[in-house]
Amino acid sequence: MMAAVGAGEVITQLESAAKVLMAPPSMVSNEQRQHAEHIFLSFRKSKSPFAICKHILETSKVDYVLFQAATAIMEAVVREWILLEKSSIESLRTFLLTYVLQRPNLQKYVREQILLAVAVIVKRGSLDKSIDCKGIFHEVSQLISSGNPTVQTLACSILTALLSEFSSSSKTSNIGLSMEFHGSCKRLFQEDDLRQIFMLTVEVLQEFSRRENMNAQMSSVFQRYLALANQVLSWNFLPPNLGRHYIAMFESSQNVMLKPTESWRETFLDSRVMELFFTVHRKIREDSDMAQDSLQCLAQLASMHGPVFPDESAQVNYLARLVEGLLSMINGIEIEDSEAVGISNIISNLITMFPRSNLTAIPSELFNSFVNCLTHLTCSFGRSAALEEVLDKDDMVYMEAYDKLLESWLTLVQDVKHFHKGFFIQHAVQVFNSYIQCHLAAPEGTRNLTANGVASCEEEEEEINELQEDDRELFSDQLASIGMLGRIAADHCIPLLTSLLEDRVTRLHGQLQRHQQHLLASPGSGSVDNKVLDELYEDIHWLILVTGCLLADETQGETPLIPPEIMEYSIKHSTEVDINTTLQVLGSPGEKASSIPGCNRTDSAIRLLSSVLRTSEVESRATRANLTDLLSPQMGKDIVWFLKRWSKTYLLVDEKLYDQISIPFSAAFGADTEGAQWIVGYILEKVINNLSVWSSEPDLANDTVELLVTLVERRERANVVIQCENWWNLAKQFANRTPPLHSLSGSVQRTLMKALVLGGFAHMDSEAKQQYWTEVLQPLQQRFMNVINQENFQQICQEEEVKQEIIATLEALCGIAEATQIDNVVILFNFLMDFLNNCIGLMEIYKNTPETVNLIIEVFVEVAHKQICYLGESKSMKLYEACLTLLQVYSKNNLGRKRVDMSAEEDQYQDLLLIMELLTNLLSKEFIDFSDTDEVFRGQEPGQAADRSVSAADVVLYGVNIVLPLMSQDLLKFPSLCNQYYKLITFICEIFPEKIPQLPDDLFKSLMFSLELGMTSMSSEVSQLCLEALTPLAEQCAKAQETESPLFAATRHFLKLVFDMLVLQKHNTEMTVAAGEALYTLVCLHQAEYSELVESLLSSQQDPVIYQRLADAFNKLTASSSPPTLDRKQKMAFLKSLEEFVATVGGLLCVK
Amino acid sequence: MADADLDFTTGDAGASSTFPMQCSALRKNGFVVLKMRPCKIVEMSTSKTGKHGHAKVHMVGIDIFSGKKYEDICPSTHNMDVPNIKRNDYQLIGITDGFLSLLMDNGDVREDLRLPDSDLGKEIESKYEAGEEMLITVLSAMGEEAAVAIKAMTK
Repeated sequence: MMAAVGAGEVITQLESAAKVLMAPPSMVSNEQRQHAEHIFLSFRKSKSPFAICKHILETSKVDYVLFQAATAIMEAVVREWILLEKSSIESLRTFLLTYVLQRPNLQKYVREQILLAVAVIVKRGSLDKSIDCKGIFHEVSQLISSGNPTVQTLACSILTALLSEFSSSSKTSNIGLSMEFHGSCKRLFQEDDLRQIFMLTVEVLQEFSRRENMNAQMSSVFQRYLALANQVLSWNFLPPNLGRHYIAMFESSQNVMLKPTESWRETFLDSRVMELFFTVHRKIREDSDMAQDSLQCLAQLASMHGPVFPDESAQVNYLARLVEGLLSMINGIEIEDSEAVGISNIISNLITMFPRSNLTAIPSELFNSFVNCLTHLTCSFGRSAALEEVLDKDDMVYMEAYDKLLESWLTLVQDVKHFHKGFFIQHAVQVFNSYIQCHLAAPEGTRNLTANGVASCEEEEEEINELQEDDRELFSDQLASIGMLGRIAADHCIPLLTSLLEDRVTRLHGQLQRHQQHLLASPGSGSVDNKVLDELYEDIHWLILVTGCLLADETQGETPLIPPEIMEYSIKHSTEVDINTTLQVLGSPGEKASSIPGCNRTDSAIRLLSSVLRTSEVESRATRANLTDLLSPQMGKDIVWFLKRWSKTYLLVDEKLYDQISIPFSAAFGADTEGAQWIVGYILEKVINNLSVWSSEPDLANDTVELLVTLVERRERANVVIQCENWWNLAKQFANRTPPLHSLSGSVQRTLMKALVLGGFAHMDSEAKQQYWTEVLQPLQQRFMNVINQENFQQICQEEEVKQEIIATLEALCGIAEATQIDNVVILFNFLMDFLNNCIGLMEIYKNTPETVNLIIEVFVEVAHKQICYLGESKSMKLYEACLTLLQVYSKNNLGRKRVDMSAEEDQYQDLLLIMELLTNLLSKEFIDFSDTDEVFRGQEPGQAADRSVSAADVVLYGVNIVLPLMSQDLLKFPSLCNQYYKLITFICEIFPEKIPQLPDDLFKSLMFSLELGMTSMSSEVSQLCLEALTPLAEQCAKAQETESPLFAATRHFLKLVFDMLVLQKHNTEMTVAAGEALYTLVCLHQAEYSELVESLLSSQQDPVIYQRLADAFNKLTASSSPPTLDRKQKMAFLKSLEEFVATVGGLLCVK
Repeated sequence: MADADLDFTTGDAGASSTFPMQCSALRKNGFVVLKMRPCKIVEMSTSKTGKHGHAKVHMVGIDIFSGKKYEDICPSTHNMDVPNIKRNDYQLIGITDGFLSLLMDNGDVREDLRLPDSDLGKEIESKYEAGEEMLITVLSAMGEEAAVAIKAMTK
C-alpha cells in the first residue's frame, strides 16, 4: 500500500487541480484544464490507493477531491478484487458507510458517489462466496428503525444505489465485467435482496401511513421510500432460464410490466401489500408529486402476470381485490388533475394484462360496477380533455388519460364473445354520446364552453400551418374507438348521427341561402359574419369523421369488409325497411330526407350515408351559386375522405365475402344495380366539380384525386365508371390541358393521370378501348413532340410556359408508370419507352434546372420500379440501354460539379438519391421477376433480340462509378441517402460479386471502406445490410482462388471485424444470423487467421475455468464443420452451434 | 391564356411581358412578379386562417436582376403575374464606356447593355482584356435586361 509519507503532497496537488477544474473558463487555459484532468485520471489509476483515499476522505475539505477519492476506491476495488484480502474489502465497505453516517452534511454528489462505491462492492462481492456482504441489509434496517429522518433518508439512498447497481439497466456502472456476471448478480439479487428491500420499504410505508400529522421532513422521507417502492415494482425481472436476450435488456426496459418470479408469490399475493398502496394513495393524493408515484405503484400491481400466480383462481382473486380497491379508492372522491393519467394507467394495465376469462370470473356485481366506473371516468375525462383544448393548456393530462381509456375500451370490446350479448350497449351509448356532445357546439353540445358553461369568447383568427395534421390523423385512435363503440350501440348511434347531420345540413343550407340573398340584395357589401357558418362547419366536420369511422374501417391494400355489427344491424331491421323508399332517399341528395314520403322506412345505415351525400350536394350547389368563398375546404376534405372510405367498403359489395348480406345493401350498391351506377356517377361528378372549384386547395384536391383512384383501382368499379360520359369528358379535358385542370399541383396531376390510365383497363370493346387511348395518351405524346421538335426549342426551353408544359408531361409520365399492373404493362411500357429516349435529350437541355432534372430521373425511377419485374429479356434490355444513356448524361453534367455547401439540406441531394433508387430498382429484377421470357409481350414483336448489348450489371456498375465518388461521409449523415446507398451496394455485392474485384482501385477501396463504416458505425439496419454483403464477397474470393487479390486481403480484415462484433461486442441479436453467415464464409476463406484470433483471445484469459469454458465453446463451435467448407449443410450446422455459442459464452466476453 | 395551340415558332413580337397564373399553381424555383418586380420563387408555403379558412400562399422571391428579396402572402385562388423570361447568348466583341458590344444572331451589333456592376462584370472585363472569347448570357424580362452569366466559346 502507498506509504502515507507523500500523502500531504498528493492532497495538495489534487486540491489545486480541483481548483483549476472548478474555476470559471476565463480564468484557466485549456492546457491547465487538461493537465488537471490528467492528474485525476492518473490518480484514479494508481495502484492500491485505499490508504491515501481514506486519508483524503478524512482530511480534505474540497468536495471535488472527496468525490474523486470515492471514485478511485470504487474503481480500484473492482480492478484489484482478486488480490485483495476479503477482510480488508469488508473493512473498506464499513469504513465508507460509517464515513457517510458520521457526516450528515456531506455534499449530495459526494455522498451518492460513496454510496455507489458501497453498492459496487456489494455487487462485486455478491457472487464471491468468500465474502459476506449481506450484513448491509441488517445495518440498513437498523438505520431505518432509528426513527431519525436524516438517517432514514440515508438508508433509502443506500437501497436506491443498490437497486440501480443491480438493475442491469443503463443505470449500472461500468465496472468492466462480463454481461454474464451482471446477469447472474441480478438474478441472485432479485430472488432475495430485492425482496428484502421491498419488505423494508413496505414496513416504512406502513409506519408512515399510520401517522397522523407529518412534518415536512417526515413527508420527504415518506416520498423517497414511495419512489423506492415504485422502483422495485418496476423491476425488469430476469426470467429463470437465462436466455441470451438478457444482454439486449441492458439497453431497453421502458414501461416494464410487473412479472415477478415464483418466489415472490407470498409477497405479492399478500392482500396487505396491495391494500397498503391503496391506503398510501388515499393519504397523499393531494400531493401531486407523491400521487404520481403511488398511482404508478398501483399501475404496476395492476400489470402483474406470470408465474407468480399459482393458478387461475389466484389470479381471479387478485384481480377482484384490485378492482375492489380501485373502486373504493375512486368512488366518492373528486379526481385531482394529477391523478387522471395514473388512474387511467391502472385501468389500462388491468384490461391489457388480465385475460378476459379472469374479468368475467370476478363477481358479476363487481364487474358491473367496474364497467360503470370506467364509463363514468371515460365521459368525465373526455369532458375535461375538451376543456383543456378550450383553455389551450400545454400539459394535456386529461387528453392523455382519455386516450388511454378509449384505447382500453377498444381492447375490452374486441373480444365481445366473452361477455353476454349486448352487455356493453348502454356503456357504449354513454361514451359515444359524451364524445359527440363535446364536439358539437352549444346548445346541444359543449364545444368551446368553459367549465361554468360560458362560451370561450376568444375568437381570434389563428393562423393554421398546413403542416399541422388533419383531425382525422391527429385523433385517429380516438375516432377508431368511438367508431367501434358506435357500432356496438348501432341502434342508438346511427339514428343519432343521422338526425344530427341532417339537422346541421339543413341549417347550413338555410344559412348559405340567407348569405346569397344578402349578397344579391347588396352586392359588395363587404364581408359577412361567418361565425354561424364556422360553427356549423365544425359540427359537420366531427359528425362526418365519426360517421366514417363508424361505418367503415381503414385498411391498406386489402378490401375492407363491412363491419359485422353494421351488417347485422341492417339485416335485423330489414323487415321494417321499404327498398324503394330507401333508394329514393339515397338518390335524392338534393332534398331533405324527411321530405320524402315514407322516409321512416329507409334503411338507417343508408340514410346515414345519404345524409353525407346531402352535405356534399349542398356544398356542390353552393359552388355553383358562386358561394365558394363561404364554404369550408375542411368540410370539402371531410366529404371526399368519407366517400373514399365508404366506397372501398360498400360500393359494389362482393357478396361472396359475407355469410349473410343485408338486402337493402345489395339492392342499393350491389353489383349490376342502378343504385351503384347512380352513386358512381354522383361521386364522379363530385370529383370533377371539386377539381375545378377547389384547384386552389392543395390538400382537398389531393384527397379528391385519391377518391378518383379508389373508384377505378378495382376492375368492377372501373367498369361502371367508364360508362359515365363525365369520365370521358374528364379524360379529354385533362389531355387538352384546359383550365381548370392545368392549374392543379404536380402531385395532383400525377395521381389524376394514374386514375385515367387505370380506368382505361376497365372492360370495354376494342373499339372503345382504341378510342380511349387515343384520347388519353396520344394527345400527351402529340403535345410533347410539338414542343420539343420546334427548331428554336433550345432558346425557348427556359420560358415559363414551355417549362410548365414539359413539367406537366413529366408528371403525367410518372402517373402513367404508377398505374402499371401486370395486364397493362405491354401497352404502358411501349408507350413510355418512346418518351424515355426523348427525356434524355431534356436532361441535357435542362441541366441547369435541378427540379426538371430530378423529375426526369423520377420518370425513370418510376418506370423501373413499376415495370421491370414484368419485362422479358429484350424489353429489359431496352430499358437498361435507356438508363445507361441517362446515367452517361447525368455523369457528364455532374463532372466537377461542386457540392461544398455542408449546411445544404437533404433535398439538394435529391438527384443523387433518385439515381441510387433507380439503380436499386433495376437490380430488384434479380429478386422479383414475374416475366416469362416476354410472355406478356408475345405477339408484340417478331423474334427475340439476339444480341445482348447491355446487361443490368453494366448499367448498375456504371451507375456506381458515378455515385461512389459523389457520396461523402457527410452525405451519409442524411438518413435517406445513407439507407439508399447501403441498400444499393449490398444488392450489388449480392448480385454481381464477380464484378467487385474488377472495379478500379480507388472505387474498390471506397466500397470496402463504406462496408466497414456501415458495419461498425451506422444503424443496425445498415449494419445488417453490410454483413449480408460480406458473404457473397467471401464466396467470390473462394471461387476465384486468388490469394493475392485486394478483395482477398479485404476479407481478411473483415474476418477480424465480424469476429469481434459477434464475440466481443454487445450486438443486436437479430443480427446474429447475418453476422454468423458472414463469419462462417470468412472462416472458410481464412482458416489460419481464424485460429490465430481464437488463440489470442484464449491466451488473454487469466481465469483457468473461464479459459476452459471458452476453449470448449470454440471447439464445439467448429466441431460440425472441420475443415470448414462452403457447403450449405455445414454452414447451417455452424449457425446452429453459433447460437449455442452466443448463449453459453456470449455474456462472458461481452463487458460492461 | 393556356389555349390548346400554343405557338412557339413566332418571335416575341407582341408577346406580353407577363401572363397570369393561379397562385396555387406556382411552384418553388418558378418565377412570379412580386411588387412589380420579376422574381424567382425561393420559398413557398401554405397556411390558412382558422380550421375552416381557405388556403393562403406565402411566397419569398428574389428579384432576378437586383437580387433583392420580396415577400407576399395572398389567397391561393388569386391570379399572379408570371414574367415571360428570355435568355439569349451573344458573343462579346467589345467593351466601351462601361457598355458591352454584343454580336446578335442576325449580324447586328447592340451596344446598349451595361457592363454589370458586380463580380461578374469584373470577370467579364478581365477575361475580355485577357483576350478570351466568350458568350454572354442575357436575361430579359418585363422590359429589363441584364447580363447574368458567361460561357466560354465552344468553337
